[in-house]
Amino acid sequence: MKRRTVVGAVAGGATLGVAGCLTRDGNGDGNSNEGDGTLTVVTYPSMIDEENAAGPWLKEAFESEHPDAELEWKQLPDQRINHYIGQADGGGEIDADVYLGLNVDDLVAVDDNLADGGLFRELETDRLDRADRIRDGLDLGDPHGRALPYDTGYISLVYDESEVDEPQTFEDLTEPAYEDALLAQNAQTSDPGQAFLLWTIDAFGEDGYLDYWRELDENGVRILDDWSESYYGAYMEEERPMVVSYSTDQVFASAEGNDLTRHQIAFLNGQGYANPEGMGIFEDAGDVDLAYDFFDFVLSNEAQAEIAQRNVQFPAVDEEYVDLDEEFDKYAHVPPEAVTVGYDRLRGNLDGWVEDWAREFASQ
Amino acid sequence: MPAADRVAAARDRLEGVRSWLERHGLSLAALGTTAVLAVMLYLPVGVVFVEAVLEEGRPTLAHFAEVLTDPFYFGALADVFADPLAVGDHLASLAGWLGAISVAPTLAYPIPGLDLPVPWLALDAPPVRKGLFGFTAYQAALSTVASVAIGLPAAYVLANYEFYGRRTLRSLTILPFVLPGILVAVGFYSMFGRTGTLNSLLGAVGLGPFAFVETSPLAIVILAHAFYNAPLVARLTVAAWESVDARTVETARSLGASRRRAFRDVVVPQLLPAVLTGALLTFIFTFMTFPIVLALGGLRLATVEVWIYDRVQRLAYGEAATLAVLETMLSLGLTYAYLRYESAQAGFSRAPSPTPKEPLFPDLRTALSPRRLAVLGYGLVALVLFVGPMASLLVGSVTDGAGFTLDHYAFLLERQLEGASFQTLPLPAIRNSLLFGLATLAVAVPMGVVISVLTVRAGRSGRIVDALAMLPLAVSGVVFGIGLLQGLVFGLSLPGGWRLQLTGSVAIVAAHAVAAYPFVTRNVSPLLANLDPAMVESARALGASRTRALLDVELPLVRSGIVAGAAFAFAISIGEFSSTVILASGSESYTMPVAVERYLGRRSGPAIAMGSLLLLVTAASFVVIDRVGGGERA
Repeated sequence: MKRRTVVGAVAGGATLGVAGCLTRDGNGDGNSNEGDGTLTVVTYPSMIDEENAAGPWLKEAFESEHPDAELEWKQLPDQRINHYIGQADGGGEIDADVYLGLNVDDLVAVDDNLADGGLFRELETDRLDRADRIRDGLDLGDPHGRALPYDTGYISLVYDESEVDEPQTFEDLTEPAYEDALLAQNAQTSDPGQAFLLWTIDAFGEDGYLDYWRELDENGVRILDDWSESYYGAYMEEERPMVVSYSTDQVFASAEGNDLTRHQIAFLNGQGYANPEGMGIFEDAGDVDLAYDFFDFVLSNEAQAEIAQRNVQFPAVDEEYVDLDEEFDKYAHVPPEAVTVGYDRLRGNLDGWVEDWAREFASQ
Repeated sequence: MPAADRVAAARDRLEGVRSWLERHGLSLAALGTTAVLAVMLYLPVGVVFVEAVLEEGRPTLAHFAEVLTDPFYFGALADVFADPLAVGDHLASLAGWLGAISVAPTLAYPIPGLDLPVPWLALDAPPVRKGLFGFTAYQAALSTVASVAIGLPAAYVLANYEFYGRRTLRSLTILPFVLPGILVAVGFYSMFGRTGTLNSLLGAVGLGPFAFVETSPLAIVILAHAFYNAPLVARLTVAAWESVDARTVETARSLGASRRRAFRDVVVPQLLPAVLTGALLTFIFTFMTFPIVLALGGLRLATVEVWIYDRVQRLAYGEAATLAVLETMLSLGLTYAYLRYESAQAGFSRAPSPTPKEPLFPDLRTALSPRRLAVLGYGLVALVLFVGPMASLLVGSVTDGAGFTLDHYAFLLERQLEGASFQTLPLPAIRNSLLFGLATLAVAVPMGVVISVLTVRAGRSGRIVDALAMLPLAVSGVVFGIGLLQGLVFGLSLPGGWRLQLTGSVAIVAAHAVAAYPFVTRNVSPLLANLDPAMVESARALGASRTRALLDVELPLVRSGIVAGAAFAFAISIGEFSSTVILASGSESYTMPVAVERYLGRRSGPAIAMGSLLLLVTAASFVVIDRVGGGERA
């Protein structure tokens, strides 16, 4: 499996009825997106498929700004970054130019499994006009400078104020008042679940986080599979009064016509865990200039506002460079202090942290 | 050559081809089956399994040693694996454990929320560390018992009584099978949750509310497994029940056997293979359950499959493959043991003449008999367990926080009319699902029948082949998906500079067929084994080819099994998610379950509406399939 092979042609399965193929190496048509004015951007489904998703707006606005360019969206494969790690490892060809939606742990996974600093190009920020607009503290901390943040979310607690008081600190959650109250997600399978775990590691350190979780366990924390199941299944059916979720929860709740008493935000220790999302350019991208144009466009005032509001995340640029709707400002809460565990601390540690934690909890 | 001669010659040639095809039909079908299996099953699975015995390209057993001796995976057994020769120590610790068991009379409160003391014998055994494998087997065993207990009464009612809507109901028993896990989880919460439908109903008569999910997560998970698998048990058993030869029962009765005795000695032996098949499949499925355990029960109830998924996500393929190999060995071992039992049940059935069905409620007096009341009671249970979660979903698709709304369906309609090409549209998803389902039928049914025919009378070697033919059921879905990705999507380098790649629709259909044919085989084999071999032999003696004998004599007699298998094949295809999403990535071959997943963002409405469409489309197709297949003789 690890044997690198000469890149063969990829007859993409993009059309119905492609059965597959046997091809000879070296007679392929090379990269199908070689500077022909088409930028292929791969991103997660909700950027494309959600109601009012940002994707269609971005495509239209970008193409009207660059009349001779075309933006082509591609759904991120189910395996996410692992798909591309596997593809690079097996000598396959990656058929995208840009990845929109990179997380820090994606970069860590790349470097743990491929060559250091692999898969994406080091970005030359001097080719961008608007790179300096990005807020401090959102940096993904990649020593190879492969990703630029375009928005961020904050993990916080969402609680029902008619059932529990607002928890102030992590220690509060281990008190009798919050017995059998908290729903969290499995850090093995869920992004917010992993973020909350990392937040406790930030708060209690590598040596203290498991003790804290044991106390949470004694107080009856419930760890479910995925954010959607925990939120739409358990939390919205009032199984429990608190859930680990996003600080933009009220934006959705008010849009759905829900009563906001069940959608109060709690920032433990006055913090929220920042999950900045970045964009990167694949190593063998066809049209690098166009990718830089796209990055500049994404950081523009209007695009930042649209992405934030449609994606229900916060902009990556300083306040002076983006004008958000009042409605959004009213319902999207920013934590007093943002914390995050950066690249350097995650590198080589993340998998071990998650596994130790999961073994602690799984069936014995 | 005059025209008439040319026509005659052509006709002769055609006739020649036809008879050659007929003579070799079975061999050709077997070849085709082998080819599909080699590319779509053995290759992908082999690509991953080989990682279990390789370390840096060198063969090793270190992965197995590590997993087998890890108490996290094997609990108390890990010590035994670590030092298998220290028999004395192991026996001493076993004796110590046995000696610590105590039994004491006590009072228990079995009904949550009710102070109703029940005298109970408390068995106090010191805890044994089960490990991940132990717990997984434990919950699978409980789920199997529950599924059989809930599935058998349904089979009894459907096979023996006539009532309005019976055939439709029978068609719909397959529905739970096609629901994506997330929808089952949401449906279960909205049925059994603290503010769920069940608690509202109980509240109306002054009971509750009970925190069902909160207080007994394992029970809820087992119920969810029964939701998926009891219909499987029911369908398998109904097919067997309807192929019971009523005359054998009449003969027993005329020889003086009581009704009960005739049932026990004549009917039960003919049902047992089907029931055990259902139990076996349920055990294997629930052993490999994921993500429903985590969604309803939480990480405490994690299974081996959860760990395999995690190892794959972390790119630790060695450990993932090792766990998967152990899981597969266990499933195939069970399958083989069962098949040995099944083949010992040689049959003598000639032609089914089904038992006539009694009307369920012919008149008020009969309706009040204990047996009919029991049926009614069971109906209520089925309503809560099966209809409840699905109805909750349908309701969820037309409500939001503010009450009744058609917004979610409006979203689907708008997406269909105005969606861009890179978005997921509802109609193509429905169309793809139905097309793949039909194509899967066309491939999986012949495959399953061929494997049945080749293995039923082949003795011991046939049983081994038959057990191996169950491999698709025994392989972890996560691992199969990864194998497809590495083996077919990324492409494999072949000698001579060739590269093999396979994605898109054909690959999806082939993967579905591979997942589905074992159901055809398991539905057909027991019936085929029950046939009197003399019938085929007479046909052969009269000059029929093997294929002709199969088509004209055997298949019509096992038709109910074929139709049942076909229905399963269609359902497996409609509901399949993990391989489909991998093979369809980046293309337009997405199906309904994939669309559900993609619409599931930070708002659940559109996904639930899509899930409801999935339910309705599947329900309609099944009613059609059962009618067309004539699932039973009227």
